[in-house]
Amino acid sequence: MTLVHFSFCSAFTLGLTGLALHRAHLLSALLCLEGVMLSMYVGLSSWPTQISLFSFSLVPMLMLTFSACEAGTGLALMVATTRTHGTDNLHNLNLLQC
Amino acid sequence: MIYMVSFFMVGLVLGLVAVASNPSPYYAALGLVVAAGAGCWVIVGLGSSFLSLVLFLIYLGGMLVVFAYSAALTAEPYPEAWGSWSVVGYVVAYMVGVVTWYVVEGGVEEDGVVGLAGLEGYVVRGDWVGVSLMYSWGGWMLFVGGWVLLLTLFVVFELSRGHYSGSLRALE
Amino acid sequence: MNPIALSMILSSLALGTILTVSSNHWFLAWMGLEINTLAIIPLMAQNHHPRAVEASTKYFLTQAAASALLLFSALNNAWFTGEWSIMNLTNSISCTTMTIAICMKLGLAPFHFWLPEVLQGLNLTTGLILSTWQKLAPMAILYQISPSMNTSLLLLIGLTSTLIGGWGGLNQTQLRKILAFSSIAHLGWMASILPIMPQLMILNLIIYLIMTSTLFLTLKTISSTKISTLATSWPKTPTTTALTLLTLLSLGGLPPLSGFMPKWLILQELTNQNTPILATMLALSALLSLFFYLRLSYSITLTSSPNTSNSPLTWRHNSKQPTTLLSLMLISSFFLLPISPLMMS
Repeated sequence: MTLVHFSFCSAFTLGLTGLALHRAHLLSALLCLEGVMLSMYVGLSSWPTQISLFSFSLVPMLMLTFSACEAGTGLALMVATTRTHGTDNLHNLNLLQC
Repeated sequence: MIYMVSFFMVGLVLGLVAVASNPSPYYAALGLVVAAGAGCWVIVGLGSSFLSLVLFLIYLGGMLVVFAYSAALTAEPYPEAWGSWSVVGYVVAYMVGVVTWYVVEGGVEEDGVVGLAGLEGYVVRGDWVGVSLMYSWGGWMLFVGGWVLLLTLFVVFELSRGHYSGSLRALE
Repeated sequence: MNPIALSMILSSLALGTILTVSSNHWFLAWMGLEINTLAIIPLMAQNHHPRAVEASTKYFLTQAAASALLLFSALNNAWFTGEWSIMNLTNSISCTTMTIAICMKLGLAPFHFWLPEVLQGLNLTTGLILSTWQKLAPMAILYQISPSMNTSLLLLIGLTSTLIGGWGGLNQTQLRKILAFSSIAHLGWMASILPIMPQLMILNLIIYLIMTSTLFLTLKTISSTKISTLATSWPKTPTTTALTLLTLLSLGGLPPLSGFMPKWLILQELTNQNTPILATMLALSALLSLFFYLRLSYSITLTSSPNTSNSPLTWRHNSKQPTTLLSLMLISSFFLLPISPLMMS
């Protein structure tokens, strides 16, 4: 396992753990998701340099596009949640519990 | 160069620790900025200058500004930073986790960064060529990307449509 | 919703699944899944009710995390093997994380907690899309990577899902939650046959899609989302109500109906593979599901005889909803069992 592999793997795992354990704000969860996508971007753009397959370089660009779309949707959901629930606190999303 | 790239890789991990340790969103956005900056350096150190530029301009310049703005809107009266005990607990736990993984892995190799000594000095790096493929063979990928951006526009409009309740109802 | 926006969203929903199903590269598959997730969210939140918004938020967070994990597994596999094709998922860690990601996308136990809550927050049409069309893309990926996956992990996930799907639905009175647990149980059957005979997984998926859409369309026709409102469905549509009994028994997997076919073949295949304990436990867990199907059919058809209603309100309104699809689905969820010899050949 090379250093860059280790670092983006651990960054991804940290981001996902943070997303799983975050219970306070929806915005914190979205930031964790962004961190996950950032580490994916680093991983995807360092993989082609390892094996000199430069035609792969458009994949991180597209991934950044998609993560921007995700971020936009997440923020729009935060706006909608704030309108309906009054806050973006994840504790308040409790209308549908079993 | 190797030491610098390694340093910024550690910076990337530390930035994610800062985001994941559950501080207030205000400070988590700061951690994400640090991580994104470190990520830029890592990518440029590995020889992909254009992708690094994209990360810097699009991610730091566009998305993180929006996130920082949202974080400022949801600001709390007593925000939690990395001095409060629960956050410190998370930070310590995550650091221990990463270091344990490093030890279990038995250290890492360095071969990821040495391969690009020959690349330094070129003006045009390989990733410029790769990205420009998006305008020739990868045209359908470009089309799908544009389609998704348009879709997101519709999605965001649909979601944040507020015809029945005033916007910013929480502030009233 | 604005028709332009609706057509954009529905075509993107189609585009996402088609992109995933027809792709060979992991990144294209991921793109399709992302388009799917993004496109269904405005459909989920279309009436801006707090429950709908909450359901779409939960759905968004789960699906985004799951698809990030999926791409991460593919990237890890590429780092170790240099291979991005879906068929060549060979690294064992990547296989495990990929299994977890897809189980999270599908709502298999122990990653199922979002599914009942999300389905409860939707209207029946979106719920139908969520529990049928949205399952296709992850199922296609699962089918393609099935040869390289960890057999015991999949069997464990499948058994857990059938048990939890049965147990979770026992205490519910909300029909959409019951349907979510029934979906978990059926997906558990698919996951447990997948490492042994993937063709049977496809068969089970098709039958599940037919039966679930029948039930959703029925509930939409009689516009009922709780057990307590089921008993008043006699005056609305007597024929559909009578046939719903058969639909529910078909979902439970009773012999002359088509729901029996996948369960029968799966149990036979598992016994052939010398796993009689697993087969027994799966068959017993189907009894748990059968209990709540029977309770539903009890309150929908067996509590009140066909009689004229004293209430003037619900007496035979002319239903505005198109029922062509419903009738086709009803017929195919009853009478598909005789074609099973055709499939075996």
